[in-house]
Amino acid sequence: MGTKKFLTGLGATATAVKMADVDVITSFPIRPYTGVMMILSQMVANGELDAEFIHADGEHAQLSISHGASAAGARTFTGSSGVGVTYAFETYSPISGGRCPVQMLIADRTLDPPGDFGSEHTDALGCRDQGWIMGWAETPQEVFDNTLIYYRVGEDPRVRLPQFNCHDGYFVSHIPGDVEIPEQSQVDEFLPPYRPVDPLDPQNPLGHGPQIFPDQGPALEAMRHNAMMAAMPVIEEAIDDFGRIFGRKYAPFVEEFMTDDAELVFFINGAHAHTARYAIKHLRERGIKVGLVKIRFIRPWPTDVLQESLSRFKAVGVVETNSSFGIARGGGILAPEVCGSLYDVPQRPLIASFMGGLGGEPITLKEFDFIAEKLKKIAESGKIEKPVYWLGFEE
Amino acid sequence: MKSYEVKIAKEKLLPEAGIVKAPSPNGEQESMITGCWRVLRPVIDHEKCTMCRSCWIFCPDQAIEVKGEEMAVKLKYCKGCGICANVCPVGAIERVPELDFEGGVVRLEKLF
Repeated sequence: MGTKKFLTGLGATATAVKMADVDVITSFPIRPYTGVMMILSQMVANGELDAEFIHADGEHAQLSISHGASAAGARTFTGSSGVGVTYAFETYSPISGGRCPVQMLIADRTLDPPGDFGSEHTDALGCRDQGWIMGWAETPQEVFDNTLIYYRVGEDPRVRLPQFNCHDGYFVSHIPGDVEIPEQSQVDEFLPPYRPVDPLDPQNPLGHGPQIFPDQGPALEAMRHNAMMAAMPVIEEAIDDFGRIFGRKYAPFVEEFMTDDAELVFFINGAHAHTARYAIKHLRERGIKVGLVKIRFIRPWPTDVLQESLSRFKAVGVVETNSSFGIARGGGILAPEVCGSLYDVPQRPLIASFMGGLGGEPITLKEFDFIAEKLKKIAESGKIEKPVYWLGFEE
Repeated sequence: MKSYEVKIAKEKLLPEAGIVKAPSPNGEQESMITGCWRVLRPVIDHEKCTMCRSCWIFCPDQAIEVKGEEMAVKLKYCKGCGICANVCPVGAIERVPELDFEGGVVRLEKLF
């Protein structure tokens, strides 16, 4: 069996990337993600990993090189943070439209201005409509596991889509945790070598990303939509297989914690779920029936799973570590999607957003207490007085 | 789980990612005929032409070829950009409105 190591999120990612035996890595430095490239370049220099390591002249070039490498049939790894993610924005749709399963690590960083390096999910969430599979990890172990799971799902011939493998900058990327490193043979069993369909090949010339006529557009968009939707059963299969091979069982889309008798729940993605679990244990001691619903995939968005899960509760507090100025309900990006998912359900919970962790601030236990109190009030009165609360600014 | 799949009729289905197979490195791309974009047609005066091949080098669409002892324009793909006329050192290429030709490209009659 494998070994146990004490690794940061970036260390865990690099180890998983090495075990996935990637062919091409493209890098450009920006905090906090850049640590993963330091580790990977060392691995390549030491001869532990046989891969092309290409240092680009900016994120746009970095992603473009990944696109070309993936189109030529290479398993490709890249990554960025904050404004680096947004600088490469143009390349995201061509990569998913070209059906190139590039994997990109996003260790979240607040967008400018000002030059804040703390974790906030807006950098990645801003790219959610570009046809990439997207989800967050909570711990270095989950980062390691997601790296392998995302490659397997994205490269599946039924899917063929790139993946944003996200975790919170610093909270996950730089704080170490126990990571079980499996045997190489286990990884090989779970993740077969990448078999590209129609790769670029001088012996068999073909054109990728051609100009099309407008009447060809709808079919190509529908096919990309179908690929994203086909990812749902493929994710379930991959998670099943993962549990069988590695012995860690994940809920594919939505992980629940202490929800059996819960009336109130925190809906959350990423690192702050870790604090939420502690908060829930404390709140339970005070008799407040609160639980946690952690979403593991933002794209594809698990509408059906959420309908079944969230309709069991009286009030849902969506914890938003992102901003979208002027969005529906005036809060973050997740609440409108949660509300939209539940619109067709007759038994709906009451939903409020809680803006927290912006600019990389931690969300404290006290703030989770505040959320629980507000949710309790909402559940008791059956009314939403305010759809959005900004943590730290409210009475 | 509900099905979110869009059923796409066979005749509307395209190769995944819109990939285009090239018949050979020298072949033509039958699914992307761009000659219908042209407003002005390059017409070569073969008396003036010195066969220097500047137009052949500069044409961004490879729409100029050497046919026997003469330069010729592949009207199927020439978009009428006029680069050939501009680079011709002896002024042998004139740009003539498509409407002056019988069977010339009439834009807007059929968009594509």
